[in-house]
Parts: sequence; structure tokens; C-alpha cells
Amino acid sequence: MNIKEIAKIAGVSVATVSRVLNHPDSVAPETKERILNVIKESDYTPNWFARGLNFNRTNTIGLLIPNILNPSYMEIAKGVEDVAHQKDYTTFLCNAENAVEKERRYVESLMRRKVDGIVLVSSLLESEDVDAVMKQGVPVVLIGENRNISGIPIVRIDCHGAAAKAVRHLIDIGYRDIAIIYGTTPERENMRKIEGYKQVLTEEGIPLRNDYVMEVANTVEGGYIAARRLIGMVKRPRAIFTSSDLLAFGVIDAMRDYSIRVPEEVAIVGFDNIRMSNLIEPKLTTIEKPMHKMGLVGARLLFDIMDSKEEEDTSSREILLQSKLKIRKSCGHRDRIGEIF
Amino acid sequence: MKTDFMGLKLKNPIIVAAGPWNRDGRSIRKGITAGAGAVITESIVSDALFDVRPRVAYNGSGVQNIRLYSDIQVEGWQREMDIAKSKEGVVIASVSAHTPSELAYLAMKMEKFGADAIELCISSPMGESLEVVASDADRVYAMTKEVVENIKIPVMVKLSQNATNISRVAKAVKNAGGAGVSAINTVRCILGVDIETAEPSLPTYGGYSGLPIKPLGLASVASIAQAVDIPICGIGGISNYKNALEYIMLGASAVQMGTAVMINGFDKITEVVEDLEEWAQRKGIKEVKAIRGKALEHLKSFEEIKIEPIVSRISSDICTLNCDACVKGCIYEVIKKEGTKLIMDVDKCTGCGLCTFSCPDKKFHLDW
Repeated sequence: MNIKEIAKIAGVSVATVSRVLNHPDSVAPETKERILNVIKESDYTPNWFARGLNFNRTNTIGLLIPNILNPSYMEIAKGVEDVAHQKDYTTFLCNAENAVEKERRYVESLMRRKVDGIVLVSSLLESEDVDAVMKQGVPVVLIGENRNISGIPIVRIDCHGAAAKAVRHLIDIGYRDIAIIYGTTPERENMRKIEGYKQVLTEEGIPLRNDYVMEVANTVEGGYIAARRLIGMVKRPRAIFTSSDLLAFGVIDAMRDYSIRVPEEVAIVGFDNIRMSNLIEPKLTTIEKPMHKMGLVGARLLFDIMDSKEEEDTSSREILLQSKLKIRKSCGHRDRIGEIF
Repeated sequence: MKTDFMGLKLKNPIIVAAGPWNRDGRSIRKGITAGAGAVITESIVSDALFDVRPRVAYNGSGVQNIRLYSDIQVEGWQREMDIAKSKEGVVIASVSAHTPSELAYLAMKMEKFGADAIELCISSPMGESLEVVASDADRVYAMTKEVVENIKIPVMVKLSQNATNISRVAKAVKNAGGAGVSAINTVRCILGVDIETAEPSLPTYGGYSGLPIKPLGLASVASIAQAVDIPICGIGGISNYKNALEYIMLGASAVQMGTAVMINGFDKITEVVEDLEEWAQRKGIKEVKAIRGKALEHLKSFEEIKIEPIVSRISSDICTLNCDACVKGCIYEVIKKEGTKLIMDVDKCTGCGLCTFSCPDKKFHLDW
């Protein structure tokens, strides 16, 4: 059964049936009830694609994440999906694999599918890519820092400040030989973390050593091979700060294989606070990144634009969320557990 | 007894404080129906979480709670505010966050959903450690300013007693454009420890509320009222109309009740509103401002106190009680008792005043 037949049975125009489906408040209650009853009895379901054509809405959004195997992005994805689901939207999840070309292809594909908005997580896309999307009337929101895009809504944390907090914690315990292992991605955020690391060491008058700054793939394996290099050094670092928890897991794994005790011989601080960081032995001291909240707020900003009336200015809101240091047992405080904001 | 609080015209100064008793539209309506001048939502956050169990401990006078904010997401509050505001009634939205931009965003949302004012909950002493923010005047300024610049409805900031200088924080709120302050939030606490099992009453720090914190609340409200010209909402241990009047006489334009509602239900609101009205009518007072700050006139700085040579006097020297509270409590050895006869060595009395409070028979008074 189609919309014309529904209109005929209910004794109203096609336009009235359409209004019941899309703007129910604009139809008199009795008429609305009559039409809804006909729809119910006839098993009619609206054609959602056609609905998108008519009203410029498909009730879908696109979500691009850098790596589906990294649990921190799944937390963010859940936040986005939680809001989208409440709004009766379906989310297309695209795994960009840290490759800008793959990301571009996904964006094109999402545009062909007429999504109503796109959320980019730590994206590698350039300003021109995003401008092209927005010119077609599709709003974009960023979660985490991007290459160099300004003027659109973004949710982020202060990676520089968070890293500084982690390194300062290590120095406060008494470590001075501190290495950093960072992932090639997310690019800009990790650059900020290195800045924070270097700033604190410089402030403390600790000489920077290039061989204590190591770049690897942002994976457990990356952490493992970097740790193995550090273990082999003549002057092995006493503490290691990693730009993600996955890297920290790899470091702990390597330390176990080489019978080096954590934290007695080497202290480790991670970044993200993914769920497993509380399960690994020793429980990982890490920076808590409010990942789920970043997803929620990012999606909210997107819906603000999609639902906004023209007079509202929702164009370039930036929301900075707070991260905190979760002190567990991987860096010298075996007995103490706490949080530093 | 009407009041004008931050430009809100309230039919009476009794506001139901933020808390789980105002967890949704339906429960907010209960407070309005009970007669409250206004109701404040449970604190709304960006990422609502499930509650811990248990989350409340009570020792008969004070309550420790470790409840962390509303479990309804922001989206859901649109529906709840529609229910809360479906009839008459003033609804203030409490929002909580760690950064200015996050806080402002939540406030904007709640303004859009119909809130009449915003209370910034940036002083909670629980796990989130917002108390640290509440004692930092610069951070409170930054947070308040960002919110005020983004919304049109009045903004009040809930302050913590655990600040080095609460007046300084209140001044920061005023300078940032805040319309008012509320004081005090719950006080960081551990209710007790079971010495057999070595377990604290609840597994983490919580906020202490109820009658025991009233003196702390009164002092905070008075301190702010003396130093800063900003509307104040008094909070802490209010369980009857007299308590409400104490806050008002020390400078509050309105007051909040929370723990009393938790323990006794919304009937307590009705009781306090009615008793207050009855008192006001008896005194011929129509508006809160007629008595607001009256007690501040009698609140002196230590140096200003004029010392009179008062000593303890007794109305009669016969006492048949065997409590001996006066004798035990007199470190100056003024009071002695032989049988049922009180003997006063007045020359030794320094007029401290303790006996006038400790005697169950109120036998003592100070005079010269």
C-alpha cells in the first residue's frame, strides 16, 4: 500500500497524510488519529529514501573514526550513537584506517547516501575536504584535533596540559630519566602531548634526549617494540609516558618478557583510560580522556546545527572537556589510588 | 511572604534544593504542588551515569551522600522540563561540568528547555573534586562568565563552605555577571567507620548535609552578605520555618531545603511554607526584604565587642536535678553543690556563659 491509497481510504489529500508523518503537530487531532489508524491497519511504512528526497532528511549521520581496533574510538563512537539513537537516527560507522584517501572515499560515499551530518574523529582531512562537504549543506563536527581546520564546531581536550600533568606526576615521584613513546596517529594530538612532555622536562632543568622520544604505530605491538629498544639502551629510562594506553600495554608486555618489574624498575603512565587499563597488571596509571562524553557532546553539536533555525549561531562552538590523571599502580604508588584534576 | 530573588518573583522564599528528590519532571511537580517558591532540578551533566549503591548514610542527625548527579541525559531533560513546567511554578536548572565551555553548553540547553534560571553546581565535594574549583576565585569567575555570556536567564553559583575565603569567591561571581550565589553545598565527609570491620560508612568520600551543617551555612551566608552586594540563597540544615528565618536574617533572599525533604518527604515543604506564612502574617511582614539581614546589624567583628563585667547568676539556689552539668562544666570552679544547694563563688566567675546553655533547667543567666 502506498501513500495515495492511504489518503483515499482516510478521505484526505496526500499532503495531509504526509503532514501527519512529518509534521504531526500541524494536523487536527481527530484527522491525525483517523489517518494513523488507517496506516496502522494497512501495514504501511514510509519510504525513507523518498522521505529524504522530499524533506532533505535521511535520518542518518556518518561517523569516521581512525581505527576500529582502538577501544578509545569505540567509546567515542558509543557516545555519538547514544545521542543519534535517541534522536531516531542511524549512524554509519566508517573505519578510516588512518589513511586520508580512505577517509575521502568514505566521505564521498556518505554524501552519495545523503547523510544529514558527519562527525570526524581525529581526522586527517584537510580544510578543503571539509569545506566541500559543508558547501553541499551537510554540517560537520570534529571530535579531537584535526590537521588544521578552524571555524567549525569541535570537542577536544587539552592534550598538551594533560601530558604535562602525567610527566609532572612522574617527576613528583622522583623520576628524572623519562622517555615518551608516541603513536604516528592521532597526529596533531600526539604533537601536543610531546610539547607538554618537553615543556615540563625543560622547566625542571632535565636535559631532553632525542633517543628517549620514540615514534611507533599506535598499537600494542608498537609499544612492545619501542620498549624493547629502550630496554636495550645503556642508560635505560626509569619511567615511560606513552601517548595511548594501547602503547602502554605493549610496554608492560615487553617488560614482563624481559623480567623487568613495573613499577619497581620502570614506571609507566598511559593516556586515554580505556577500560582494560584497570584490568591489566599492574593497573595502569593513565590520563583519563572523557571519550564517551566527547562522543555525546560532538553528536549534540551536530544535531544543534541540523535542528537549528537560521537565526541561531551554532557555527563554531568549541567545547573543551577536562581530562584527569588517574593514579593507579604502574608508577611507584603501589598503595595509593587517586585522581588529579 | 513574597521574595524577589535574582529578578525572579517568588511567592515564598522556600526553594527545593537540587537533588535526587527532583530527579525528573514528575518529582519536580511534587515540590511545586507542595507549595515551594521554586524547585531546582537534580544536577544535570554531559554524560549521565548510573547510580552507585548504596549512596546514602544517615546517623540520625546528618546525612552523607555519594550520589553523582542526574541519570537522565540532556536530551531527556527536554521532556522532563516540559512535564515540570506544564502548570505554574518556577524551575531552576542545576548544571555541573568541569570546564567553562562544557558548563555553558549545558546551561544553554536548559535555557532552551524552559528553565527560569540556572544554578551552577561547581562545588560538589564528591568524587569529581569540584570543590577544588569552588575555592579558586579565578576559575569560578571564568566558568560563571562563560555561562552568563551565553544565556539570558539569571545565573546563580552554588558555593562551598570549604573555600579559603568564600566572600572572595562570591565577589568573583558578581564580577563575572552572576545574578546570585547559593551557599553552602554539602561538606566533604566520611560519616563514620565501623571499628569491627574497619569499613567507612560508604566506600568513598561524600557530601555532609542536614542539621549539623546549619551553623556552617549561616556563617557562610553572613560572611558573603557582609562583603558582597549579591542576592544570596541560604542552604544547610533547614528543617523548620525558624531555620529559614535565621538564614534570611543573616542576609539570604531565599533558602533551599534538601535533606529535610529526603528524610521527611515533600510534606515538610508544605509545613515550612505554611508556618512561615503564619509567622509573617502575625508579624505583619509581606516581603522577605523587610527582615533580610536584620541579624547582621548585631553581628560585630571581634574587636568591636564591648565587654561588660557580667558574671553568672542564679534565679534560685535550690537544684533537685542530679546532673551536675554546671559543676562539671565550670573550669573556673565557680559553681559547687552541697546536697540540693548551689553555691556560687561569683568572684571567680569570668562570664564565659557555658552554664547558661548546659543547665537543663535554665537556672543561670549573665548579669552585672
